[in-house]
Amino acid sequence: MLARTTETGSESDPAAERQEPLAARAAAFGRAQRHSQRVRALKFVLPLTAGIIALAFPVYSYLVTPPAVEVKADDTAFSDGKLVMSNPKLSGQTSENLPYSMSAARAVQDVANESVIGLEGIDATLPVDAATSATVKAANGTYDRTANTLQLSKDILVTTSDGMVMKLQSVFLDMGKGTMKTGDPVDITREGSHIRSDTMSASNGGKTLVFEKRVRVDIDPAAAKTKEGSGEANAAQ
Amino acid sequence: QSDAKMTGLKLSNDQPIQIESDKLEVQQEQNLAIFTGNVNVVQGATLMKAGKMTVYYVKGGGSATTGSANIDHLEVDGKVYIKTETQVATGDRGTFDMKSQVFTLSGQKVVLSEGSNVLVGCKLTVQMNTGLAQVDGCGSGGGSGGRVMMSITPDSQKP
Repeated sequence: MLARTTETGSESDPAAERQEPLAARAAAFGRAQRHSQRVRALKFVLPLTAGIIALAFPVYSYLVTPPAVEVKADDTAFSDGKLVMSNPKLSGQTSENLPYSMSAARAVQDVANESVIGLEGIDATLPVDAATSATVKAANGTYDRTANTLQLSKDILVTTSDGMVMKLQSVFLDMGKGTMKTGDPVDITREGSHIRSDTMSASNGGKTLVFEKRVRVDIDPAAAKTKEGSGEANAAQ
Repeated sequence: QSDAKMTGLKLSNDQPIQIESDKLEVQQEQNLAIFTGNVNVVQGATLMKAGKMTVYYVKGGGSATTGSANIDHLEVDGKVYIKTETQVATGDRGTFDMKSQVFTLSGQKVVLSEGSNVLVGCKLTVQMNTGLAQVDGCGSGGGSGGRVMMSITPDSQKP
């Protein structure tokens, strides 16, 4: 398009140029016009597609990453449709991305429903917040990997790193939401105060505790003080 | 306004306390415990009943664990009844301030009775360490000019 024949010094014979048929020139002009329309369109379309691709890629890769729950076990056996793992260890993340880990003496997973694992001899560490964590020991329970919950039954002991000891008979823990609740009697001691009740629920990572039905609290400030007075470092500190 | 002795009415920070209620909510972040429903508090010879009691623990001075067992102050409401060895007090709302050792009981009709002696007013203030109790009348607009009803039965004065 830019190339133009100039009058002076060109070898072609000016007379022949005048005879070139008008139609050929019109066709060339048409082709040039369509070409520049195409260029104009591409100038818009190409960067747009590049932008869309750039955006789509990170979103796609974020969505496709699996939730971080990995299960490791010493050895596994397969008997009558059930996968039996001996002292499995598994870890995961709560909704605030605080890590939780759990080990058990034995885990039994029904092949039909592989997200639910029956556990025996449980020892779990659950985050209360960034600074404190709770260790949960229980005779047996069921862990639901997809729902991120743990139902425990029979002599459960929960000890938190800020000095609370809870004895429970059953408890339902939702690690994802950081909540805990039980319909059976509870016995809790914490620096000189001893709380008993028939039901209990805990939320926002154990910061809010609600006890109901026959709540009995015995506070013995002296006991708490002597523990500190004697300078004995509290387990949590 | 009139003064009386109210020995024994005392909730102290270094004596064991037993509390019973229908429900207890512990807010660990705010160092707060709220007892609701038939709240029953026993410390030594002092017994207190109320509809609701809110316990404010001392904010964790030093390490977080040292403060939480000490009670900073407590508020009771919903028909408060307090009985010591010798006296009974009733009112609508009460506060125990452990730091200043002051207990106040207020409401439409605050009654402090010892045996058959009765003091009726709108506010009872007790210095828990000395046992000095003071009943203020229901002065309009909180003025202390209100009248206090006191009835003393002579024979009950015998030691």
